[in-house]
Amino acid sequence: MPLSLYYFLSITAVNILMSWALYVPYRVTQLHFITIANMMISGYLAGYLVLHAHVPFIWALLIGFAVGGIIGFIVSLFIGDAPTFSVVIVGFTSIYITRTIVENLPIIGGTMGMFGLPNIGGNPGTHRWIILCILYGLVILCGFLIYRFDHSSIGRAASAVFVDKELASSLGIDIKKLGMLVQTFSCTLAGGVGVLYGFIYRSFHLDFFGFALIGIFMTVLFVGGYSTQWGPLITAPILYGLPLFFPTEVQSWRIVIYGLLLILVLELKPEGFITRKFVHSLGLSFSRKRAKEIYSKEEEQ
Amino acid sequence: MKRQIVALLLILVAVSFGFSQTKVVVNEWRIPFLNCLTGPIAAIGEFLQWGANYAANEINAAGGIAGKPVRVIPVDTGNDPQKGSVEMARIVKDSLVAMGPVPEPVILAAMPIAVENQMMSITATTSYEYAVQFFPWTVSWFPPTLDRLPALVIGWAKQFSDLKQVVQFIEPYGPWPGMAEAHSKALAGLNIKELKAIEVPTDAVTFGPLVVRALDQKPDGIILVCNAEKAAKIIKELKSRGWTKMNHILVFSSADDAQLYSTGGADLNGVQVYNYLNLEVSNPRWDKFKAAFAKDHNGQMPFSLSPNYYDALYMIKEAIEKTGVTGDPKKLKEERKKIADYCANVKGFQGLLYEWDMKDGVPTNKPSYIFEIQNGVKQFVLEVRP
Amino acid sequence: MQVFIAQILNGLSIGSVYMLLATAFNLLLLVAMIIHFSYPQVVVFCMYIIWLVLKITNNNVFFGILAGVSSAILFNIISAPLFQKIMKNREEVDINATMVLSMAIGWIITDVLSHAFNNGLPIQFPEEITGSKPLFRVGLISILPGQVLALSIGIIVVVGFFILLYKTKMGRAFRAIAEDPAGAKLVGIPLVKTGFQSYALSGALGGLTAVLLIMLFHSASPGLGEQVSHKVLAVSIVAGLGNLVGGLVVGLALGILEALVQGYVSGNWSNAIAFVVMLVIILVKPRGLFGVKV
Repeated sequence: MPLSLYYFLSITAVNILMSWALYVPYRVTQLHFITIANMMISGYLAGYLVLHAHVPFIWALLIGFAVGGIIGFIVSLFIGDAPTFSVVIVGFTSIYITRTIVENLPIIGGTMGMFGLPNIGGNPGTHRWIILCILYGLVILCGFLIYRFDHSSIGRAASAVFVDKELASSLGIDIKKLGMLVQTFSCTLAGGVGVLYGFIYRSFHLDFFGFALIGIFMTVLFVGGYSTQWGPLITAPILYGLPLFFPTEVQSWRIVIYGLLLILVLELKPEGFITRKFVHSLGLSFSRKRAKEIYSKEEEQ
Repeated sequence: MKRQIVALLLILVAVSFGFSQTKVVVNEWRIPFLNCLTGPIAAIGEFLQWGANYAANEINAAGGIAGKPVRVIPVDTGNDPQKGSVEMARIVKDSLVAMGPVPEPVILAAMPIAVENQMMSITATTSYEYAVQFFPWTVSWFPPTLDRLPALVIGWAKQFSDLKQVVQFIEPYGPWPGMAEAHSKALAGLNIKELKAIEVPTDAVTFGPLVVRALDQKPDGIILVCNAEKAAKIIKELKSRGWTKMNHILVFSSADDAQLYSTGGADLNGVQVYNYLNLEVSNPRWDKFKAAFAKDHNGQMPFSLSPNYYDALYMIKEAIEKTGVTGDPKKLKEERKKIADYCANVKGFQGLLYEWDMKDGVPTNKPSYIFEIQNGVKQFVLEVRP
Repeated sequence: MQVFIAQILNGLSIGSVYMLLATAFNLLLLVAMIIHFSYPQVVVFCMYIIWLVLKITNNNVFFGILAGVSSAILFNIISAPLFQKIMKNREEVDINATMVLSMAIGWIITDVLSHAFNNGLPIQFPEEITGSKPLFRVGLISILPGQVLALSIGIIVVVGFFILLYKTKMGRAFRAIAEDPAGAKLVGIPLVKTGFQSYALSGALGGLTAVLLIMLFHSASPGLGEQVSHKVLAVSIVAGLGNLVGGLVVGLALGILEALVQGYVSGNWSNAIAFVVMLVIILVKPRGLFGVKV
């Protein structure tokens, strides 16, 4: 596999997963930016465990997931049903605190960063395949879980909360528990993705987890469509890949292009390109086609 | 609707396919330069790019490298590690050698790819502590921090007999805390008391509290280890609080760039700075470089890092010509190694300002200087050689 | 004692920045129901316009200030419909959609400034507008004209806008249009004229804020807005969205807290400590210390 294709696919998978990590809490109107801090914490922890404590990568990854989940759960006890802006402030606070802690810990590289994470599997080729397999395995697993969530009573409850929190509460939906569930899931996912993100580069640096990541994941989520999980899945590779083919002069304006695209989408298609209606009609069209095929076969018989 | 799906799928396939494309050019030397042309340090990226392009034009005017023209291909990473890694992955497919990346987060993301593919990428603006992680597939433009900086601080401090206690302002970024440690080593060696360091937050916009805290300790001297804009603002704040001994302020090399002068203005008069670029040196190449730079930059003189990639391209030229590299794609691996080996141990490399040697990727005899700023111009004070 | 007083004054200076930006942010919310997360970037954009005009007019301060205020008003008028279109389907203030939209506007501004002005280098303002000579200096205590003006004008502005919005007919009209345009129209409030007036008002404040920030900082860079935007949002939320007086108090308090932490504890931890304090307040009082006013 060409190396550039590997990096494209792996970073696309990270963007998909992290956009989903924002998508799930956003189903209950929460912008859960603490996921960036989770990436950092779990990533650095796993890097330290592998590099210095010689813990096998798979255990470090599982620990990364677990730490993300524990942090998400503890924080959700306080902000499970908090207003949106409180959740935003929690996110910013956690990012600042985490950055400051990492800066001041020479044992995990401090401001210099963490270098030389080993190849999993002993050689670069095997390392890349393992990372890709784990990433896309995670995409499939999370895609399945989120699909089941969206099509369950919990998902419908989340939709009700999104439309009208107070009405949802009066209908008996436990907003806090729902908030805790989505936040814990999102943080667990972010923890694991943070570990994988660092192992893609085989190093960690504070600037890998800056506020710019919020911009990337938000763009993928809102341009793709925040009402279904399919939006980020389709948009992430396009938004990340297409600018790589622009001429250098145009590439230098890519942030402006992203910003304009986001504004256009919010104005003209507020729900994003892939909406629930689109997905539903797609499903209907395939089922109509299938029904027609069955009908015509029966007629032939 | 189906058409939309097909269109989306086609786009995805095109994007994937695009990454597998290879282009082999044999009529010219194409040297990719992973640089930061957009984003927060775009201004510095532009100076570096200018230096590389100028070198390419000069080399081509003199007949090219081994008779073939050279082209520097700008690759903007925008200070984005994601982009940097994808671009490096594209470059390693068929490039003989590369320059950059810039800056450190992108180096960490992208250099492991160059190392894995055994392709040299010259990181001419980062510290030894970063570059050494990727030896032998890069070289360091600077000796180890703990070896090179103490002599500079000693040179500065020895000018002033009244320097008994010094405070450092330190911004927590990359190798800068390590550089501050090297300064501390020097001060300890001179029995100058180092007062409690002042940490400068990366997003600080005002500096009153930090300056008051520093001045409350009654320092005789101040060393600034923070970015150029912050350094300039701290100097202005110091002045407004009554600091008068401007030459008792030393600015470290990483802050010596255009932002220092554009923000500090006349308030910098008397401040001393250490660096590796001496504008007062005169030789035909350097004089031409300075004149051309000033012409293209509204009369501004070159900043400290401007010649780095000029020299890097000339080093690549020398490596290609002296080792007989042909650019034949079939010999890519072998010729990449030749270039890397040559650069790591080049002797008597004639840089733009001075001649130096490399030993195992580390320069052994580069001079550094202390200057005093007067009216936006650095005036030579002292040369320090290892 | 001298150091403590100096740090308190530093804190008031930092706090003035937050107070001014939070007031502009809250005003936009009150008169147009817009949560403009990136309003600090808009203010920095106006600072750049002032710089450009000063360069062209040979440091004519009057034209510079006029250009700053006009550009802020124009920006408001152009961007307000963008926000209102995405909010029209929701009854309450939609923080999510407006936050995302304003983030996009912020990115565009920051990138345009770093591309198109002064090669991305910081800009310096001339002495004619900055007034960099201290009014008063004793030991470590130093008071610059910009600090006095920023604080005093900021307080006057907050009080003035509070009176305008809550004690005058015009202010009631602004708030009526923001909360319920259809209802406002029904009671005879001219929508277009009053809407324009409200944008002009908040734009004027934005322009004035740009001038005061010039006097406080004496320079600007493309990333300046981003550096303060998180804290400005936090100040507004902790104070209570739309609460002008709350924004003043919390802004100044945050400035003093930061100055004291930087002065006595640690520069590196000042952000983290400031945000933790704000976080605790939000967790205890989710609607802000002084209550939401929208």
